[in-house]
Amino acid sequence: MVFRQGQKVEIFQRSDDESWEDYMDEFIGMHGIITDPDTSKNDPDALIEVSLDEKGTHRFPQDCLRVID
Amino acid sequence: MREKSCRVRTIHDWLKEKLQSRELAHPRCQQIASEIFDLIYDVSQGRAGDAHLASILDLSDHLASEGMTPECRRLGEELSDRVQANREVFESHIQTHTCPTGDCPMLTPAPCQMACPAGIDIPTYIMLIGQGRYAEAIEVIRKDNPFPWICGLICTHPCEFMCVRGRMDSPIAIMDLKGFTSEKAMSAMEYKNPEKMPDNGHKVCIIGAGPGGLTAAYYLALEGYQVTVLEALPVVGGMMMVGIPRYRLPREVIDREVNMIEELGVEIRLNTRLGKDVTYEDLESEGFEAYLIAVGAHGSYKLMIPGEDDYPEVISAVDYLRRVSLGDHRRPGKRVAVVGGGNVAIDAARTSLRLGCEEVTILYRRTHDQMPAHSEEVIEAEEEGIQFSYLTIPKEVIGENGHVTGIVCVRAELSEPDDSGRQRPVPVEGSEHELSVDVVIPAIGQEVDSFGVDDFSDVDWTRRNTLRVNTVSMQTHQPGVFAVGDAVTGPATVVEAIAGGKKAASAIHRYFEGIPQPELPPVPVRRRRTDYFTVPASLKMDLKRPEMALLGNERRRITFQQVRLGMADIQAHNEAKRCLRCDVCIRCGRCVEICRDKMGVEALKMGYLDFDNPGPTDLKITAERCIACGACATNCPTGAMQMVDRDGERELLLCGTVLNRLKLEYCEICGAVLGPARYHDYIMRRVKEISPALVGKRICLECARRDSGKVHAEIVPPKERR
Repeated sequence: MVFRQGQKVEIFQRSDDESWEDYMDEFIGMHGIITDPDTSKNDPDALIEVSLDEKGTHRFPQDCLRVID
Repeated sequence: MREKSCRVRTIHDWLKEKLQSRELAHPRCQQIASEIFDLIYDVSQGRAGDAHLASILDLSDHLASEGMTPECRRLGEELSDRVQANREVFESHIQTHTCPTGDCPMLTPAPCQMACPAGIDIPTYIMLIGQGRYAEAIEVIRKDNPFPWICGLICTHPCEFMCVRGRMDSPIAIMDLKGFTSEKAMSAMEYKNPEKMPDNGHKVCIIGAGPGGLTAAYYLALEGYQVTVLEALPVVGGMMMVGIPRYRLPREVIDREVNMIEELGVEIRLNTRLGKDVTYEDLESEGFEAYLIAVGAHGSYKLMIPGEDDYPEVISAVDYLRRVSLGDHRRPGKRVAVVGGGNVAIDAARTSLRLGCEEVTILYRRTHDQMPAHSEEVIEAEEEGIQFSYLTIPKEVIGENGHVTGIVCVRAELSEPDDSGRQRPVPVEGSEHELSVDVVIPAIGQEVDSFGVDDFSDVDWTRRNTLRVNTVSMQTHQPGVFAVGDAVTGPATVVEAIAGGKKAASAIHRYFEGIPQPELPPVPVRRRRTDYFTVPASLKMDLKRPEMALLGNERRRITFQQVRLGMADIQAHNEAKRCLRCDVCIRCGRCVEICRDKMGVEALKMGYLDFDNPGPTDLKITAERCIACGACATNCPTGAMQMVDRDGERELLLCGTVLNRLKLEYCEICGAVLGPARYHDYIMRRVKEISPALVGKRICLECARRDSGKVHAEIVPPKERR
């Protein structure tokens, strides 16, 4: 999936990626908006920026995200 | 009901239950427990002062040690344990006036503030801008971000994506307002630094004068640290200076804001590259006790195609933009091909056009809708005449006599989506073609250059070739060494680097003070509680987001003049009036439910309350339907919805927006306020069966009772009860 700025997404699962931090566990199930996708080359491995509804803005690995639009 | 996750609120509810259960029989115990409850309530309401936590603990210990009954002592012990275990949460509530869980309604931050990586108190500064208090707005912004002007021009503004107004029509122009107020304050010479703490004698070295490093320098200098910043380039600002073209971010803006940081005593050493001009040992001998690595991601990915390394006219976008930023304004060639679909590709293409290149084409291997560049950048590039060649994959750079003459490409088509939903560009057989160009600029991504950073022997790297840190404290594996910015995140945004710099400054301060590092990301701080604008609902609905004036296209194509020309005063003031004040209204929807389900009136049509499925909003409709009963205001947990009687009228206001205004009626007998006619009629319809004596009269209940008594009217039970 190529994520684009402005898409609504859900953190639907924990990621095994090294960038996943323990405090992110509480974000599973939450919805947010892609605010800064990988802005250079649509790299599936890039961390992308998501603003979660009332839970702040964080960078997540893409395997924990799915589009809900 | 959802379980509350705020520990202050949990303890508040637990103690309330204990008090209501009458478990504490002794009156003295009850009194002390009630006092503790009041103090905890203050914390949950944002009204607590510095002494509250100590008082809560003192009183709990008093109960535990001197309680009159065993229950009393047990309660004191448990209370003390619970508060001690959550001390940090209590302190955070008291210091930040924010509860990010949303369980303390009065402390729930606005979505825009939560979305801002730097946690700026956006509703507050927007109100201040609307009132023309520009210097105060800057003061509020700089509590969390030392670069309001820069971010007012080039921030990726995640706040606007989360802006609740965007669910109604379009988000508040938060970034533009920030830029506007910065210009105003700077121009009026009212853009000032706050007072700094006295020198504490500690020396900190920051490697890299980009947004992350300079932000940390600013907050550390304010705390009294002696800060030295090493910068490899001959200019300050990092990627802000050499990666973002002047037509988006004029150099003077960076210089002015960096000057403010230097004014605090921060020393910036230009042309000083760690590992080349200075060594780690040199720095140690200078007495630095902590280091912050903020070197950015200035390396470039290569295309990995034949011919790429054979010609001087193949130049990476990062190197190209840096060269132009440092003053080399020679035209690189006549026909330019930029490879990539991101923001850097767009910047390189638009820069080429301004340098006089006749034909500039962006080659992108996917489709327009998959371009990762921000849409407004793409639109502006198209307006300026940049050509886009989609579904095009470069295959080889070709040339003659040591110079580029073209680039061989193949057309592509997108494959069927794979398991992850990704479509890949697949070359079309036999579609090979040659584009005649004399410059090729690859812009397909950046990476961290580890040169110099390797001097820190114990810092660790991730598999993405970025520095590994604890992202809450920005600490690396090496004690006393921290890292921020693109070197940690990979190529990211200016505001993320600023947020990292602020976190790192706090962590470095804790490191020196011996305070344990936090375990969770910082909570945004509510800086002030500002008044609302009183605005009629019709105006609130009808005001539109201002269109930013842009430089004429002809001039854009030939100069580096700033493209976005800013806002007029009236535009900025009106834009501030569009703000829905989500720092006060927490969008719980209780008002809508009460009006619809309990009162059966359905006067509130606020579809914007729902994040996932926003519906239509019409604030004007309330004036047509509302009976001004006040049920919504009474049940509002934060006081966002208010009903007030003044000047013979009853007004219903939502964060200052006048939803309804009705003339008040008075009792024909005693002159007491009856409420508006619509409300009176609503009540009459409900009670006409019970109290027929009231029908047709404008009298209050008290007078109605007396009136009924005079004529011996009988109370008639409603029909259904007979």
